[in-house]
Amino acid sequence: MRSPERGIPSRAPLGPLLTKELWQVIASRALWTMLLLVCPLIGYSYFQAVSLYGEASAAGQQSPVLATSLSPLDGISVPTFGAAYVAVTLLFPFVAIRVLGHEKETGALRLLVQLPYRVSTLITAKFAAVLAAWLIVSTPVLSSLVIWKLSGGHLSAAETSNLVAGHLLYGLLVGAIGLFAASVSESSATAAIVALAFTIGSWVLDFTIAGQPGFLEWIARLSLTQVLRPFEQGLLPVGTIVGVVAAICGFLTLAGVWLPPGHSVKTKIVRSAGCVVTVALGVLIASRIGFGIDVAEDRRNSFSVADERALAGLTEPLVLTVHLTPEDPRYQDLRRNVLAKLQRAMSNVTIRLASGRQSFARTDDDRYGEIEIAYGPRSDTTRSTSPREILPMLYALAGAEPPVQIPGAEYPGYPLIADERPALAWYFGALPVLIVFAWWWSRRPPHINKARTAKEAAL
Amino acid sequence: MTIALATAPSEPSMAQPPLLMEIFGFTKTYSRQPALAEVSFSVSAGEILGLIGPNGAGKTTLLEAIAGLLPVDDGRVLWRTTLLPVWRRRELIFYLPDGLRPWDDQYVQRLLEFFAAVYGKSEIEVKETASAIGLAPVLGKRVNALSKGFARRLMLGLALLTPHPVLLMDEPFDGFDLRQTREVMGLLRQVAANGRTLVLAIHQLADAERICDRFVLLADGRVCGIGTLADLRVKTAMPAAGLEEVFLALT
Repeated sequence: MRSPERGIPSRAPLGPLLTKELWQVIASRALWTMLLLVCPLIGYSYFQAVSLYGEASAAGQQSPVLATSLSPLDGISVPTFGAAYVAVTLLFPFVAIRVLGHEKETGALRLLVQLPYRVSTLITAKFAAVLAAWLIVSTPVLSSLVIWKLSGGHLSAAETSNLVAGHLLYGLLVGAIGLFAASVSESSATAAIVALAFTIGSWVLDFTIAGQPGFLEWIARLSLTQVLRPFEQGLLPVGTIVGVVAAICGFLTLAGVWLPPGHSVKTKIVRSAGCVVTVALGVLIASRIGFGIDVAEDRRNSFSVADERALAGLTEPLVLTVHLTPEDPRYQDLRRNVLAKLQRAMSNVTIRLASGRQSFARTDDDRYGEIEIAYGPRSDTTRSTSPREILPMLYALAGAEPPVQIPGAEYPGYPLIADERPALAWYFGALPVLIVFAWWWSRRPPHINKARTAKEAAL
Repeated sequence: MTIALATAPSEPSMAQPPLLMEIFGFTKTYSRQPALAEVSFSVSAGEILGLIGPNGAGKTTLLEAIAGLLPVDDGRVLWRTTLLPVWRRRELIFYLPDGLRPWDDQYVQRLLEFFAAVYGKSEIEVKETASAIGLAPVLGKRVNALSKGFARRLMLGLALLTPHPVLLMDEPFDGFDLRQTREVMGLLRQVAANGRTLVLAIHQLADAERICDRFVLLADGRVCGIGTLADLRVKTAMPAAGLEEVFLALT
């Protein structure tokens, strides 16, 4: 919109704002402190992972069958990134809160909101700063991938990128929560309590009500830690990504609603309610999206290539009626090893839980444990949760021959006994020194040509 | 010292300066405690208007409300007879709060460059501003390392880099000694002479009397008097009184 006075810009370039936000992040002691704390945490996790992987590899190098179970994703990447997850959960909220909270506490926010930027632009710039902060604090964990590669280790590009993407999403979600907390709180201390209520509250959900039936199970699924699970399993979960992006947008919108000091609390509450309803709908829709792409090199989330091709040719409706409660470990096995894979391989699959959401303790039905498979007009029943039992039954119901497995398509496994000592030198010596040097470098004053300044002023 | 930073629109030469902004019926209560009670006044282009009152009179509340940084119960701003909604006030009005050390972990030079880049000012203009307000010796210092006087100069520098026709300043002389106060007053007069309008909240009556063209006297959130010192003397029938006596008589 044009300003009523000539020469008054109603919009300003984004560059200066982004530069200012980046300087703010780099000037933050919380960022550098977190970075220094993360070093030994990541270093110890990587050291342990390499050590254990080496022990397992000693047996794996003797037996090709044992070697097939040696995946660097499970053995190295997930445990090392797990340490980064703990750090991001406990420490990253403080870094994100400072991006906004410091300006609020010092009063600089009252100048910032007068600049010719929309509130959405201010929040976007701050979110970009959070992204930059995540990239900086992830340096130690990302360097573990380089060290593993230099040690002669194997990394699958697809599954490693997927894991990094999952942690990026999680970091940005925690960052968005931090910005929201800083926006609604008067002080950084209060904001920290609000943000940790979300992150540590998720752990409480995991420990107390995960595995419980019914509504509690649905509540447990809202835990932030659930975000990472599929990525750690080598799955690119479209529904989870949509849900997390919706949640991030929601927290950022709420931060924008509460940022301007000129609006009444009543106005902010009404706008927040609208935002919460919209995001809740988005998360609900996302939870209905079960589609995911298996990016694991060992295809743990899919059947073999031959089976996938054969199953793709079965176009009639497949209905599986499962007489198990959701919290039953057999159902978890069935879900992971058969049902999820069938849903990805076939176009028309319906899964019914005959026991509904009743408690595990009330399973006195004689049919409890049965799995009824109906393909078209024909059906059969089994109590096995293994794909080795269920797939032949399905082929038989469809009147199809079980496919011949393609030789050489099996996952070979990547056993490696690597020397973990260089990692110790990196994480407990070189990297902390580099971080301290970078901290010192970032605190240098800008270059000012005093002689030139005086001369120009005199002119 | 030359300041050519203001970009207020040129106005036709008239005997009376044209009315720029009118404040109508600003009312604000905090937990049933009135902070502003139907405050109304107007300000002309190029004028220096002083909001005068003791601590707690409602000066800061009024400035924040005009700038749109504080929700009010009632009140509106007219800009050249057109209603100026809250969301557009930042295009015309810039408010400089009192006692701020914004972005205190950043260097002075970097902050001036940030404001200059936002408003499209050149590097030369940044240097002129820094030189005019005496910030050159501390450009390489962090904001949290500045003395109170230099912190105040920095705030002033940031305000001068903005192009807004109206500047609202809360206690602009707080933190300055006598000599510095006189320097800054001279600078502000130059800014006003270049066409910008200044609304200054001042509790030191002697300072206000020296710099302001007109006064709005506030006490307990109410306007007790508006006008030049001569107008107020007539109103109080105290022809030889200073602002201090006039203020005491009216409040």
